[in-house]
Amino acid sequence: MTLRVLVILYCLLISVGAAGQENVSMFTVDAGYASVHDSYLTPITYGGTDLALGYEAMRSMKRYSDKWLWQLQVGADYNYVENDAKNNQLHKLMGDITFDMQRQWRGAIAQRVNLSVGPMTQLRAGIIYDEVNSNNPVSVRAHWNVGVTGMATFDTRMWRIPVTLRYQAQLPALGVFFAPEYDESYYEIYLGNRKNLAHLGWWGNRFDMTNYVGADLHLGKTTLRVGYRARLEHWNVNYLKVHDVGHSLVLGINL
Amino acid sequence: MATIYFNHKTLRHFVSCHSSQQAIKKVVSVVQSCLSCLILCCLLGGCAQQDEFESDQVGNFEALWTIMDEHYSFFDYKQVDWNEVHSRYRTRVSNEMTDRELFDICGDMLKELRDGHTNLIASHDVSRYWIWEQWPVNYDERLINEHYLNFDYKMASGITYQILPQNFGYMHYSSFSSVIGEGNLDLILSYLSTADGLIIDVRDNGGGYLTNVEKLVSRFIEQKTLAGYICHKTGKGHNDLSEPYAYYFEPTRNHIHYLKPVVVLANRGAFSASNNFVSIMKSLGNVTVVGDTTGGGCGLPFTSELPNGWRVRFSSCPIMDPQGRLTEFGVAPDVRVDMDRNDPTHDAILDAAISILTQKTDITTNNNNNH
Repeated sequence: MTLRVLVILYCLLISVGAAGQENVSMFTVDAGYASVHDSYLTPITYGGTDLALGYEAMRSMKRYSDKWLWQLQVGADYNYVENDAKNNQLHKLMGDITFDMQRQWRGAIAQRVNLSVGPMTQLRAGIIYDEVNSNNPVSVRAHWNVGVTGMATFDTRMWRIPVTLRYQAQLPALGVFFAPEYDESYYEIYLGNRKNLAHLGWWGNRFDMTNYVGADLHLGKTTLRVGYRARLEHWNVNYLKVHDVGHSLVLGINL
Repeated sequence: MATIYFNHKTLRHFVSCHSSQQAIKKVVSVVQSCLSCLILCCLLGGCAQQDEFESDQVGNFEALWTIMDEHYSFFDYKQVDWNEVHSRYRTRVSNEMTDRELFDICGDMLKELRDGHTNLIASHDVSRYWIWEQWPVNYDERLINEHYLNFDYKMASGITYQILPQNFGYMHYSSFSSVIGEGNLDLILSYLSTADGLIIDVRDNGGGYLTNVEKLVSRFIEQKTLAGYICHKTGKGHNDLSEPYAYYFEPTRNHIHYLKPVVVLANRGAFSASNNFVSIMKSLGNVTVVGDTTGGGCGLPFTSELPNGWRVRFSSCPIMDPQGRLTEFGVAPDVRVDMDRNDPTHDAILDAAISILTQKTDITTNNNNNH
């Protein structure tokens, strides 16, 4: 059943993609600073390196008179962060997949400006590993949510090179996420106690946001990307607090 | 949606009515707004500082006390007034004291909890409440190797084993941190299967992985067996504990089991996972626990951290025995025996185990003959 749904989704994406006029297919690398706070592991906020690999596909949907576009983002990110005392490290490894469809207004403000907004859904999961903790060495993160995304692009030239400037915000609003109880061990979950692990996420207990601003430099058939991404994940449930922030430089190329 | 509609109408208005210069100004304005939002988000992210304590001596003391106050699970069980402890120790702390002085005070404060699972760990020392160091040792590895095994024993997965001259199997498991392979366990039990009874010695076993407890116990049961109850803190209050959750072990399928009489040897050095193992084995019908009371330690320890980088380990999730009792202060043996310090050639606890197995196997043999 799941396979069938995936095949149908894949065919749908291929069909709308083939009909589109625009064709963004970009591999990206992010590098920057991350801070991680997870009170299940430690009350201390850790800071350090943020690295990520990503792929983005975006197509305009000609079938709907170019009024809609879809966007698919797949990525994996790794944080290597350290406490202020410099005697312990956390490793955070996450993967995510985000899909959205946006209603777009071409030449909305000026001739070369496009604005778009629409619904999005995101699945993101991974773990944080503490090198020295005893029976709380990992914190599992998993959430699925729906929200809204908005994007503004501006086509211009810089040093005679065609450039697309872009700003995009992704704002999940509702979803489901995993969190153990306050001091519940994963051993107890392993033994079979799986009560109260899934939580409804909304802005009352959870706030995530990703902001991206950058430029795509069109060099013939090649497009290079340079940008900045800020990612925020915050939640507070069962007296557990998570507050992760990432600031990273984004470099990318279409292939 | 209202916002989108407004933007749509407004944007059309811009396109139709304004000159290109005005439009560019609007574009700049929109970009500025977006960037302002972005910067605001970044600032919000950066400002959300979670740490509540300074990294000076007083701050670290307060952090330690608060971590224990919010996470330690045995305050009421041990009747410790943690606020009174704070008032008593706080007066001894000042920002002018050295790290070692602070460490000693914090270590003394943690000893008020009488908990072998509670440690303060710094680069120069580990504070501890290892009361078992003061109890009778009741175990001498050299004595057993020399006088009972004649230095002839086998080793696998951290387990030393051999068949004694009385035709009873003997296995000593020194640490539950030594991972037991199912295949290794098959080979060990296969070798010992010809013995009439088995002695499992967990004396001086300081604990380790609870998954190894399950792996070992599963070889001595025939059906799904209640192993105990586990609970956890659900909030910061001292009594915020979840309902005890009953957990069960099942016999390992397609592996060798040992269902003849078993004696478990214990002493005060059997702590934590080892204490848990003894509490479960004691509840099985064909098992007798011989020796001294175990060292206790029934709280699954968690670890946290102070601003200066010191780690603190503490009991967090209480685990109860199959009768629903906490075994924080140990599991009493079925047959209490102490070793004789003046007899360097005999292990009185092992001798008692051999006697018990001899009696049990004699009874079994007689019953079989009568039938």
